[in-house]
Amino acid sequence: MSRRARGILAAIAALALAPGALAVVRAMPPLGDHPLPYGDAVNRVAPAERAVSNMVTAVNFDLRGFDTLGEEVMLLAAVVGAVVVLRGARGEGVGDRPARCGSRPIPPRSDAVVLLCRMTAPLTLIYGLYVVLHAALTPGGGFQGGAIIGSGLVLVWLGEGYNAWRRMVPGVVLHALEGGGAGLYALAGFGAMLTGAAYLANMLPLGDWGSILSGGMIPVVNFGVGLAVSGAFGMLFLEFLEETREPEKGEEQ
Amino acid sequence: MTALLAGLLLLVAATGTGVVLSRRPERQVMAMAANGLALALLFAALQAPDVAFSQLVVGTAAVPLLFLAVLASIRLHRPEERPGDRPEKGA
Amino acid sequence: MSALPWSVALWLFAIGFYGMITSRHYVHLIGCLSVMQSGTYVLLLSAGFRWGAGPPVFADHPPGTPAVDPVVQALVLTDIVVGAAVTALLLALALQLHKRRGTLDPEELRPMRR
Repeated sequence: MSRRARGILAAIAALALAPGALAVVRAMPPLGDHPLPYGDAVNRVAPAERAVSNMVTAVNFDLRGFDTLGEEVMLLAAVVGAVVVLRGARGEGVGDRPARCGSRPIPPRSDAVVLLCRMTAPLTLIYGLYVVLHAALTPGGGFQGGAIIGSGLVLVWLGEGYNAWRRMVPGVVLHALEGGGAGLYALAGFGAMLTGAAYLANMLPLGDWGSILSGGMIPVVNFGVGLAVSGAFGMLFLEFLEETREPEKGEEQ
Repeated sequence: MTALLAGLLLLVAATGTGVVLSRRPERQVMAMAANGLALALLFAALQAPDVAFSQLVVGTAAVPLLFLAVLASIRLHRPEERPGDRPEKGA
Repeated sequence: MSALPWSVALWLFAIGFYGMITSRHYVHLIGCLSVMQSGTYVLLLSAGFRWGAGPPVFADHPPGTPAVDPVVQALVLTDIVVGAAVTALLLALALQLHKRRGTLDPEELRPMRR
């Protein structure tokens, strides 16, 4: 199909769909002024039933825990797919040379960048861990904290350079985090089944309101998600940044 | 509050349009980071701190960084120039 | 104002769709896809919003105070992180495509021209 024909086809489709879409926009209730039955039910029931103060965490890791397991597996599948696609051409071999872009050498890092990264990288990683662990209490949780940890690992690359980064962040550890976190989530569900309850039912003691371990099973599966997401983002950055290296002569590509 | 939400919604629409209309991927990465930041502000204004958090980390840092790595890799692995190829601008 | 969030969501979806159709670079196309995706975030979070309500986190205000809908927030939250991983998968595919075919222009990648 030529560019022109494709444009015409898309325009016809858009014209056909536009009246329906506009009718939906016009029929929607006004912003912020309509009943929210499910949200109200969660807000009413979950604080007492689960002893956690963050309702989003309660929905994610308990009330809709099975759905989040599906999301978790989607994350695992997408990351494994990306890694396999990238390594399919590059091979498993991992070099230890600093990045070079063609014949253009990478300029040396300035002292300011190194200093800033050395100060911010540990703080970012600790902050990510804090966000993971306080899922039940304050905004945050395994997904956000894991993304912070995974992205914080890039600060190590920026500040310490390729060689030190590869030494400090071994790929094997990231693989173990990713797989282990997802496995912890799935196994936690089977743990509930051992007591005769349904898969992922909350069988652990709920703990005290406002405590970091409140919510029974929520801290366990949340920690699993935190491990998996930090491993996932770490792996993605590792593989993609590896792609920006030029393979040395004779090195496996 | 109404004005804040309306302004942020329009900002999201404008930056989203900017992402689509910046045709050079190198520029699009910056537009994407701006769009991610606008979305994070909108989510915070919609009383969704958890989502704003997630969007801030993923939309302004992680995803643009992946795009930058891909663009760097594409420049690195560029095949030999074939006759008739347009010269790459701003490479 | 009452229809603005839904219009913005529709606009993001439509402009991302337009960008995908007219894109001449697969990396640009993936960016347009993420704009389409953000339209759904705006739609869901606006649907769960309520005037005068606080966030659904009862850390500094007691349970029972009005709060917005946590269910849609949980949906969007997981989708943002999983969507980033899916974007990475698409980027990896684009990268391999570039290595094999030397271009990322959809027009030059048609199989019959090989």
